[in-house]
Amino acid sequence: MPKVALFIPCFVDQLMPQVGLDMAAVLRRVGYEVAFPEEQTCCGQPGFNSGYWNDARPLAERFLRVFRDCELIVAPSGSCTTMVRVFYPQLLADSPLAGEATQIGKRTFEFSEFMVAVAKVTDVGADFPHKVTYHDACHALRELHLKHEPRKLLARVRGLELVEMPFSEECCGFGGTFSTKFGMISSAMGDTKAGNAAKSGAEYVTSTDPSCLMQIDGILRRRNSPIRTIHIASILARTVPRSVGSMRREAR
Amino acid sequence: MAAVENSGRAAILTRIRTALKTPAKTHDAHGNGAAAARVDIFAPVGDPLERFRRECAGNKTELIVTPSFDASVAAASAILAEMHAGEIFVQDAPRLRGAAVQFGAGRSVRWSCDGGPLEATDVCVTLAELVVAQTGSVLISSDCGGRGATVVAPVHIVLAEMEQLVPELETALAQAYGPASRNSYLSLITGSSRTADIEKILVMGAHGPKRLIVILAEG
Amino acid sequence: MTTTAQEFLRRAAEKSADIVHRQIIRKNMDTYEEAVAQSRGRFQNWQSARERCQAIKRDAVEHLDHYLERFEAAVQARGGKVFWAETGEQARQYVLDLAAKHNVRTITKSKSMVAEEIHLTPALEEKGIAVFETDLGEFIVQLRNEPPYHIVTPAMHLTRAQIAELFKEKLGGIDTDDPVELVAAARVALRRAFFSAEMGITGANFLVADLGLVAITTNEGNADLGVTLPKIHVVITGIEKIIPRLQDLALFWPMLAGSGTGQPITVYNTLVGGPRGAGECAGPEEFHVILLDNGRTDLLADPEQREVLHCIRCGACLNACPVYRNIGGHTYNTTYSGPIGSVLTPHLRGLNQFQHLSYASSLCGACAEVCPVKIDLHHHLLENRRNAVNSADRPVSERFAFKMWKWAMGGAGRFAFAGAAGKLALRTLYALGMQGTALDPLGAWTKFRAAPPLPGKSFRAQWKEQNGGR
Repeated sequence: MPKVALFIPCFVDQLMPQVGLDMAAVLRRVGYEVAFPEEQTCCGQPGFNSGYWNDARPLAERFLRVFRDCELIVAPSGSCTTMVRVFYPQLLADSPLAGEATQIGKRTFEFSEFMVAVAKVTDVGADFPHKVTYHDACHALRELHLKHEPRKLLARVRGLELVEMPFSEECCGFGGTFSTKFGMISSAMGDTKAGNAAKSGAEYVTSTDPSCLMQIDGILRRRNSPIRTIHIASILARTVPRSVGSMRREAR
Repeated sequence: MAAVENSGRAAILTRIRTALKTPAKTHDAHGNGAAAARVDIFAPVGDPLERFRRECAGNKTELIVTPSFDASVAAASAILAEMHAGEIFVQDAPRLRGAAVQFGAGRSVRWSCDGGPLEATDVCVTLAELVVAQTGSVLISSDCGGRGATVVAPVHIVLAEMEQLVPELETALAQAYGPASRNSYLSLITGSSRTADIEKILVMGAHGPKRLIVILAEG
Repeated sequence: MTTTAQEFLRRAAEKSADIVHRQIIRKNMDTYEEAVAQSRGRFQNWQSARERCQAIKRDAVEHLDHYLERFEAAVQARGGKVFWAETGEQARQYVLDLAAKHNVRTITKSKSMVAEEIHLTPALEEKGIAVFETDLGEFIVQLRNEPPYHIVTPAMHLTRAQIAELFKEKLGGIDTDDPVELVAAARVALRRAFFSAEMGITGANFLVADLGLVAITTNEGNADLGVTLPKIHVVITGIEKIIPRLQDLALFWPMLAGSGTGQPITVYNTLVGGPRGAGECAGPEEFHVILLDNGRTDLLADPEQREVLHCIRCGACLNACPVYRNIGGHTYNTTYSGPIGSVLTPHLRGLNQFQHLSYASSLCGACAEVCPVKIDLHHHLLENRRNAVNSADRPVSERFAFKMWKWAMGGAGRFAFAGAAGKLALRTLYALGMQGTALDPLGAWTKFRAAPPLPGKSFRAQWKEQNGGR
């Protein structure tokens, strides 16, 4: 069986563990042996994005060492995948690990990208009979050039009706520390996104990026909106019949 | 101003040369410029006259196609009569001197050799250097009645000929300014003056003409 | 935090909450987006067009000295004058001296961001010279005594009702909000200025090196009046506006228009090469081009960000930016706003005072996606942030926080501990009723949106449970 290593972003590990578990379940279902290199911590993006490249660099080098022997690395996040593929070469340009830094991006994938381009599976036997709209997360869209992959996967989910929202490509306003440093601008952007999601008539908003979903969810809750957010891995993990175990996990 | 009075010149050039000693860093795979140079950037023009017609309709240039220059002159006269044009400004070119007998009749004609158009001018009549199909434009130089002929009056009539119609903008620019050209002014004009500065609502005739009329002689 | 940064936060908060403003800008941008989508259809290959523009500008900037010298020689051959200004002060002084020499009382001006950059108009007005903005949008904001809101559409933030009120008050003899009549009123008001001005000042969209021509683009034709009627024509331009050949404009003119307003091409694309030529019946007696440095050579010397000089000032990045759409142009309080302004201003005016603009971005990358010359704008914002940190200019608390972060992330054990401890602390504080108070660590988040639910067990804890030691 081919193997994949799970790259679980630090905040997914702490705040949205179900996303990681669901991604692992789907990867197993389509025939991969899934490993979790438990030495992993953080790819370094928060520090890097704030300009603290010297503090982020050792974490990036650590990431390279932790994942050195992994042939395929999958993350439920476009922004974390972008950090590794797009920014590690620049961040580690003067590091002794510079060569590895340019290579690792070739074997690190965002989850939906992995499913379509590597596993070459779009129908994972998922069942999610709801109206769903897709938010194009910025890194996934503009840095990894993913637009059709998540939609292909959603199109094969039984019962799922995909409705596009206006301006799906517009930023949700998260932007890492931008969300708290410039909260008023961030929430105005989130407000626009929530309004556009509502226009789609969807019951759920989904995306490749949990950080976007955290922002959109926070705004929707504040607006008392009935719209829910759910990560694409969690949609794909839903099958019929639902196992007792999965229902128990969701209840937590 | 002689270079010696402008110390900034040497200082700036030195700073530029020093800066350029270090090559620029690039982020991604550049060097696509060479590949891009071989690709056709713009959609093909197709039949130039048809394209020119379409573009003029789009940019609100009034286009009249006539069989000959004489017919063009007649068309211009008709327009002037319809407008009740009083004072007109005309490019001092031999062809227009001849034509002025017709369209100058009954109105005050100011020739470009006597100076620029005045505030009271109703219509400017000029020839053109070239006409561009790709964008529906006319290329006017200071030879065509001098600067101002294109913008002072509320109506500008251009008399052009089919052999001046060039399909692509790039070709037009290549021909526009030959080594013998002494023109201090050239203008590629695409439609009449307009602005959308108020709520993005299009209003014609801001400071320049409200109407640009191109009369194109086929023969 | 500098007062500039604090002022920015204050204005940003105000504007972000202003729903009416948001709707006005939205409406403008929707119109723009539609037009742009249409204009793209004229390009067989939009991405190749961008790459070619990028290649041409790169050539221009990489040989800037050579091209500037060629430009200068050609202009001088036609009797024009070229002045190289190292600073805004030198440029202003040149214009003031010229105006004094010729007893200039009235100046007509077409839109120039560089003139804004060096605060030229106030300097002239101080000498009792009347300066008239002739671009309608600039004319409107001049009457309101405010800076332009956007580098291409200066009065984008105003409704027609506001403009009507303004004209009624300042111009007199007009009481309507009909755009046609408002434009006609502006035309009449400026006509007098056009015909009486002794000097016309314009900017330059491009400087054509091979033939020594200044390319000036307008829809109104105001620049053409300004380069025809006065005795003196002054061009004020940054040195980076150079392009190598006249034919390059066959690409740049449509790109500028397509990105700037969504038009196939702007109405008046004018080329001026000198004063009135021999045998020409109209035109100025004198032609002066002021080539301004004002920090551009510093940017040239930065190998990472040199490409920022490729900018053709089309304004597309402003239009695409979701931050700009929410805070508007005035909030930046700089000459150049939007993404290009955030990238550029620290280089022209200092990183210390203007780093906050580089942080006021979610780094979505929409700007880089639309830039016709493919400047990697959002990546340059990251570099500005890095430069700010490396110059030890960030708040101590932030530097400390990231040192802690680096420690916590330095090992799996520490990471798990920090995560668990953090969540425990949060739960405890909330149990004590601290949620929403000043002691709430999530306060900055929850001020604007609901907090995410806190799960009990982390991923790695659950993974271990379910998978043993794998």
